[in-house]
Amino acid sequence: MSNDDKPFFVGYLDVPGPLRRFLLLACVAVIGIFVATGFLIGSTQDEPPASGFRFDYGRQTVTGVIELTPYPLLRVTQGNDLIKPGKTLMLTGQGKFGVDARAMGLEGQLAEVSGIILQRGTIDMMQLAGGRRGLKMIEGDAPAMETEPLGRWKVAGEICDGKCLNGAMRPGRGLAHKACAALCLVGDVPPVFVSTQLIEGSDFMLITGPDGTRLPKAAYDYIGQFITAEGDLERRGDMLIFKIDTDTLEVTDE
Amino acid sequence: MSVKYTPVQWNLNKWVYDAVMLVGVVAFLWLFLFVSPELLSHEFPINPQVHNARAFGACAFVMLTVILCIGPLARIDERFLPLLYNRRHFGVMTTFVAITHASYILNWYFAFSKSDKFSALLFANTSYTQLAGFPFEAFGIFALICLAVLAATSHDFWMKFLTPPVWKRLHSLIYFAYAAVVAHVSLGILQDQQNHVFTVIFIGGALAVAGLHAYAAWLDWRGGDEVGAESNGWIEICSPEDIKNGFAKIKLLPNGERVAVFNQEGKLSAISNACAHQNGPLGEGRVIDCLVTCPWHGFQYDVTNGRSPAPFTETVPTYNLRLTDGVIQVDPKANPPGTFVEPVPIPGWQEVPA
Amino acid sequence: MDQAELILLFAKIWGGVGALVALAFLSFGIDRLDEDAKGAYVFRPLIVPGILLIWPLVLWRWYILADGKDEWAKRYKPKRNSHNLFALIMPVLIIGIIAAGLSVRQTWPVNLAPVQLTEPGQ
Repeated sequence: MSNDDKPFFVGYLDVPGPLRRFLLLACVAVIGIFVATGFLIGSTQDEPPASGFRFDYGRQTVTGVIELTPYPLLRVTQGNDLIKPGKTLMLTGQGKFGVDARAMGLEGQLAEVSGIILQRGTIDMMQLAGGRRGLKMIEGDAPAMETEPLGRWKVAGEICDGKCLNGAMRPGRGLAHKACAALCLVGDVPPVFVSTQLIEGSDFMLITGPDGTRLPKAAYDYIGQFITAEGDLERRGDMLIFKIDTDTLEVTDE
Repeated sequence: MSVKYTPVQWNLNKWVYDAVMLVGVVAFLWLFLFVSPELLSHEFPINPQVHNARAFGACAFVMLTVILCIGPLARIDERFLPLLYNRRHFGVMTTFVAITHASYILNWYFAFSKSDKFSALLFANTSYTQLAGFPFEAFGIFALICLAVLAATSHDFWMKFLTPPVWKRLHSLIYFAYAAVVAHVSLGILQDQQNHVFTVIFIGGALAVAGLHAYAAWLDWRGGDEVGAESNGWIEICSPEDIKNGFAKIKLLPNGERVAVFNQEGKLSAISNACAHQNGPLGEGRVIDCLVTCPWHGFQYDVTNGRSPAPFTETVPTYNLRLTDGVIQVDPKANPPGTFVEPVPIPGWQEVPA
Repeated sequence: MDQAELILLFAKIWGGVGALVALAFLSFGIDRLDEDAKGAYVFRPLIVPGILLIWPLVLWRWYILADGKDEWAKRYKPKRNSHNLFALIMPVLIIGIIAAGLSVRQTWPVNLAPVQLTEPGQ
C-alpha cells in the first residue's frame, strides 16, 4: 500500500516530475541492454571451419568408375587440373538429396559426372548437376578398382551429413544442426564420421552400415554427439569407408 | 478505458514507450546483422540464413528476458510501474521477432528436402528419450505457440470477454514459454557454442528473471495483504485514522476477495481491490480528481458506486461498511458492480494541512 | 513421418474450425455480448488470430455470456496465489534446465585416438 506521497504514474497523463529522471535512466538502461547484448552476442560467434561450395572453380567434369557402398562414390580415372585420377569423390544431389537413385545400376560402370565442388581442406564431394548433365554412363571398359581392407577400428568423433560438413551449411555440424543432418541422411546424402585424430592420413570417413547397407536408423540418435564407434575400415582410392557397428556406439564422457 | 474498441489506443506515453523499445530492438538487430559480420571477418562466413536466425532468436530472448523482469521489478519498486504500462506492445513485438527467427530456421535447416518443411520440422529429429540431442526445436515450437496465443489475445476485448482472472491465467503461459525458451537454448546452441560470451549473457539473463521472480514472490508472501478478523459476520479493517486522505487500506476477505477501503475527504467507502480491466490493485492507487485511479493502466472509478465516469462503462463491486467502536467493518458480501453505498463519515475528521 | 503429418492435419483442422467460429462470432455473436463492440469494426480483424488459436475458449465464453450464466463476482477475484505459484515454479525450472543442459554438454574428445582392434583379414 502506498500511504505516502510518492509520485504516481498514470499512463495517459504527464509523467510526474520526480519520476522523469528515473524513467529516463530506465529507458537508457533498456536501450543499453539491447545495444550491449546485440553487439556482444553478434560479434562472438564461433568461426565456421574453412569449407563450402566452390562456385568460383566453375563446373567440374570428370570421368571414373561408380561404386555403390551403397552411397555412390566416383573413383576418378580421367580427371582435370583440380581433380586428379586416383581421387575418390562422394556424390550428392542438390538440396537434401543424394544421387542413389540416379547411380543405381551403374555399379562398376564408367561414368561422367559434372557439378560443383564442395571443399573442406581436400576436395571430397561433388554436387551433381541435374539429369544426364550431372551423371551419365559412357562407353568404354571400366578398369578394376581395388578396395583395401584396413581391419577393425575403434574411433572417436561425430556422425555428420557429408554435405553440410563439407560446407553446404556453415555451421554444418553439432547438436543445433542435428535435425538438418538427419533430414539430409534421410534424403540419401552420404553420412560421414569426423574423427578426433587422423586415421590413415584422413580426419573423416564415409560411413555405412555393416555388409553394404545404409547407415542404420539407430545411429541417427547419435548425430552431432561426440561418440566412439567400432567397425571395419576399408580404403577406396583416397577415401576411407567405415562400416559402423551401431551396437558399439557410445557417447564419450568428456 | 474503452468506449468503443479501436485497434490500438494511443497516448504520448505509449508512443515514447514503443519508441524506446523500437530503438533498442533496431539497435540490437542492426549491430548483430550488419556490424558483427565485419567484426567477425570470418574467411568462410556463417550462412546469412543462420546468422539472421541467430540475430532474431537472440533478440527475442533478450526481449522476453527484459519483459519478464518488468513485473517483479514493479512489485519490488513502484517506480518501475510505468514500464508495466505498455508491456503488451513489447510482447506483441517479441512474438513477431520470434516468428522471424522460426521462419529463417524453417526455410534453411528444414527446407530443400523431399518433405514438407513443417512436417520435416516435426519428424527430422525424434530422439525424445535423450537429453543431449533432444529435439530442442519442440521447446521452441511450444514457446512460439504460447507467444502467439498471448499476442493474439492482447487486445482489451479479450480481457473483458474472457474476464480478467481467466485472461491472466491464460497469460501465465508466459512463464512456461520462458522456461521452454531456456530449454530450447540450453539443449540447442548452448551445446555447440565454443565462445562463452553468449553462454554468460544467456545464463545471466535467465537467472535474473528467475531471481527477480523468486524475490518478488517471497516479498509478497512475507508482506502480503492480511486477512481481516471477523466479528458478527462483518470483517474488521482498521481504525479510520490509519487511512490517509486519498488512500486506501486493503484487506483480504475470508472468501479470497480483496476489499479496498478508501478515505476520501473524511468519508469512507469500500470497493473491490480488483480493477475491472486487468484486476490491477485499486487499493494501491490514488484518488485523483475525486476518482480512484488504478496504478496499472489508470482506469478510474467513483469510490461511492464503483463506476467509471461517463462515457466509460467499467464498474467494480462495492461493499457495505460501518464504523463500530472506532473500527471500520466491511460486509464481506459484495454488492453488484456499480451499486451506490452511502459513504461513512469519520467523526471529527479534519484534513491535516500538508 | 506419419505422426508429423497427423499433427499438421490436426493443426489445419483446428485452424479451420477456428475460422468458422471467427466468422460466426465476429459477424453476429460479438455485438450481442459486448456493448463496446457495437459499431466498432476496425478492431475486429485483430481478434481473428486469437479466435483461430483459442476457439474452444471462445465458444465456452460465448455460451456462458449468451446464456446469462456469467457470475460477475468471479471477475473480481484475481488468481494471485496461482500467479505466485507460477512465479516460483519458473525459477526452479530455469535453474534445473540450465544445469541439465550444462551437465550433458560435451567437449570434443581430442585425446581419444583411433585404435586398430584387429589387423585386416583376421
